[in-house]
Amino acid sequence: MRTVFRAFLGEVRGTLRDPGALLVLVGAISLYAFFYPTPYRREVLKEVPVAVVDLDQTPLSRQLARMADAHELVRVSARAASLAEAERLVLKGEAGGILAIPSGFERDVKRGAPATVGVFADATYFLVYRQALTGLAEATATLSAGIEVKRLQAQGMPEAKALAFRDPLPLVSRPLFNPAEGYASYVVPGVLILILQQTLLIGIGLRGPADLTALGKGPLLARAAASVTGRSLAFCLLYAVHALFYFGIVARVFGFPVRGGGLAAAALVVPFLLSTSFLGLALSVLFRRREAAIQTLLFTSLPAIFLASYAWPPEALPAWLRAAAQAIPSTSAIPALLRANQMGASLAQVRHELGVLWGLAVVFFVAAVLAQAARVRRTA
Amino acid sequence: MALGDAPGVFRAARREAYQLVSSRYALVLLVLLPLAGFALVSAIFWNRLPEALPVAVVDADRSLLSRRLVRMIDATKSMRVTGPFASPAEAFDEVLAARAYAVVTIPAHLERDVKRGTAPKVVLYYDALRLIPGSIVKRDVRAVVGTLSAGVEIQARKALGETPDVAAARFEPVRSMRGALFNPGLDYLAFLVPALGPTLLSIFVLVGAVHALGAELRDGTAGEWLAAGGSATRAVAGALLPQTLHFTALGLVTTALQFRLLGIPMRGSPLLVALATVLLVLAYQAVGLLIVAFSANLRLASSAAAFYGGPAFAFTGVTFPTFGMPFAAKAWGALLPLTHYLELLLGQAMRGAPPSASLAPLAALAAFVVLVPPLALWRMRRVMRDPAYWGRT
Repeated sequence: MRTVFRAFLGEVRGTLRDPGALLVLVGAISLYAFFYPTPYRREVLKEVPVAVVDLDQTPLSRQLARMADAHELVRVSARAASLAEAERLVLKGEAGGILAIPSGFERDVKRGAPATVGVFADATYFLVYRQALTGLAEATATLSAGIEVKRLQAQGMPEAKALAFRDPLPLVSRPLFNPAEGYASYVVPGVLILILQQTLLIGIGLRGPADLTALGKGPLLARAAASVTGRSLAFCLLYAVHALFYFGIVARVFGFPVRGGGLAAAALVVPFLLSTSFLGLALSVLFRRREAAIQTLLFTSLPAIFLASYAWPPEALPAWLRAAAQAIPSTSAIPALLRANQMGASLAQVRHELGVLWGLAVVFFVAAVLAQAARVRRTA
Repeated sequence: MALGDAPGVFRAARREAYQLVSSRYALVLLVLLPLAGFALVSAIFWNRLPEALPVAVVDADRSLLSRRLVRMIDATKSMRVTGPFASPAEAFDEVLAARAYAVVTIPAHLERDVKRGTAPKVVLYYDALRLIPGSIVKRDVRAVVGTLSAGVEIQARKALGETPDVAAARFEPVRSMRGALFNPGLDYLAFLVPALGPTLLSIFVLVGAVHALGAELRDGTAGEWLAAGGSATRAVAGALLPQTLHFTALGLVTTALQFRLLGIPMRGSPLLVALATVLLVLAYQAVGLLIVAFSANLRLASSAAAFYGGPAFAFTGVTFPTFGMPFAAKAWGALLPLTHYLELLLGQAMRGAPPSASLAPLAALAAFVVLVPPLALWRMRRVMRDPAYWGRT
């Protein structure tokens, strides 16, 4: 117990005197929290520029263009004389979508024949495509509904009945947990959890393996276990404060949805930080130089985020990869903490991930102890 | 740059190449990890579109019509129905336990009310915190319910005495024919994968350059290094040259391989993309040089490189487009060579844009290569000569 406390104190003192580690373990935490979300500050992508090709030039075609312009997701940025010209605007990146109204459009509608307009969007960029297509299709659907209801009313049907007649089985869509469907609310909370993991792994790598001789002369494995426990305690206490800062303050400053009461989140944070800290200590024996931790771990954030059932659905991962990814703490921590914090999931609803994280904590603890002991034996 | 005295560059390059080949760490950092990263990213997106996303359905009607709706949802490629659930609360629990992405509630008396023409509402609650599966489910449930609703309307029109042709013509006066430009399969893989490979490349080029230059300062060997090159410019150019060749080759091979293996189309000019790849490598090496020159400390330089290269992807506009960003984020994105490279790559590969549309990003990449090194070398000269800057970690 006393050696654990000595290892704890040694780590606290050592970290405070290590500006390189402090920069990562403390500085990066607040820097990233306010730097990373800046691209998404506006939350929803609106007013995607679209080009209108109006080959009809009638009051009805102009009305459709006006309705598209009025839709919040798109704005009419250009008028093109032909589809080819509109496509050139998209190629240059000046428009994200095209509304193509064929000649004879108004005539067809007046005749009662179905009129078809072309709604195209640039599928090079996922969000541009989604917003442009949604905006243009919704504007067209609104125009169509108005025309059909007016026709039915002309046949003597009351308005309410006409509305039900033209869409007898309406669908109401409601977004869950992220009412404004904000992009920052979707992407940032998960990335914050990843930042906790990555800075902790790198920071521990910068601190390097322990000097076990400072912990007396007991059996090697006992000293290694005391060192891993004491040092992890120091890292985890610091990161518990960071987690509180991220989930409690940063989430509110940016207005991300917060529905959880905190119990499930707290229960998840403990094994998440422990397993990450033990993993960091196990990896730290591999780094012969301090900066190697930064250099080799930097790229891992990118695959880690796509393996965490969050930016990319796990249903789409190959089965072997989905299984292997369980070895990374963020794979369980990100989806479970998002459910606990943003969706209000209960402890029982995150128990699967909780079990995995505790399992990782045990495995990585043993790995860290063995790795630290083996390193002493090798250098002795 | 005064590269006239080529032997100096080659001496420095040979010295660096020898150090790289004899270092196990260099093998790991410059070869094994980049290859592992590319393999991992390709494996993540190997299956392409997500399929059979679970949707929890609460059918309070259990009529022919409601069962038909459930079957139609289940029959889509993208979704599978889980349940049955007795109450909406049970179904929402499935979402909270990560066993479903959405809940569809079908009200009691759906069939009866549809026949009476009171338009009973089917409600789709979709998870808007998991954007990609949420969007897919929303799009496809809408399509299914829309098809069913149109079918009911056509039947009702026939009941009013319209012929099948007339009914089919009148049920939706203005229709939209939707099309995806440049990515007809709407392949999510094609959205992301071409961008992730170069992002990994940019990280490793930056880290590699910082390591090659910074290690000379850390180990106090800058004197020998300078002597080998004959001048700071030639020594720096020589030290970076082996990695320039290595990463250019790696970048070209992995890009070509990804496009070939994963079947992503290359509609534009492969030559232009290759040229941009060379410039991307040089641009990140230039930035690496700048970071080392002004930090004169390998550990600090590595931290700075992590800050510059790590979160870069978010600022490139591939996920959230640049025109929707506030000015500060747009400006930071413009200061990343990756932003310009990806604009060019996606324009060429996906859109098959004419070369003229790619001139601006190409010029921006070239600007990094031309403008950054003189500024960095101005400071690097002093750092390389003054032992006070050596050995700091």
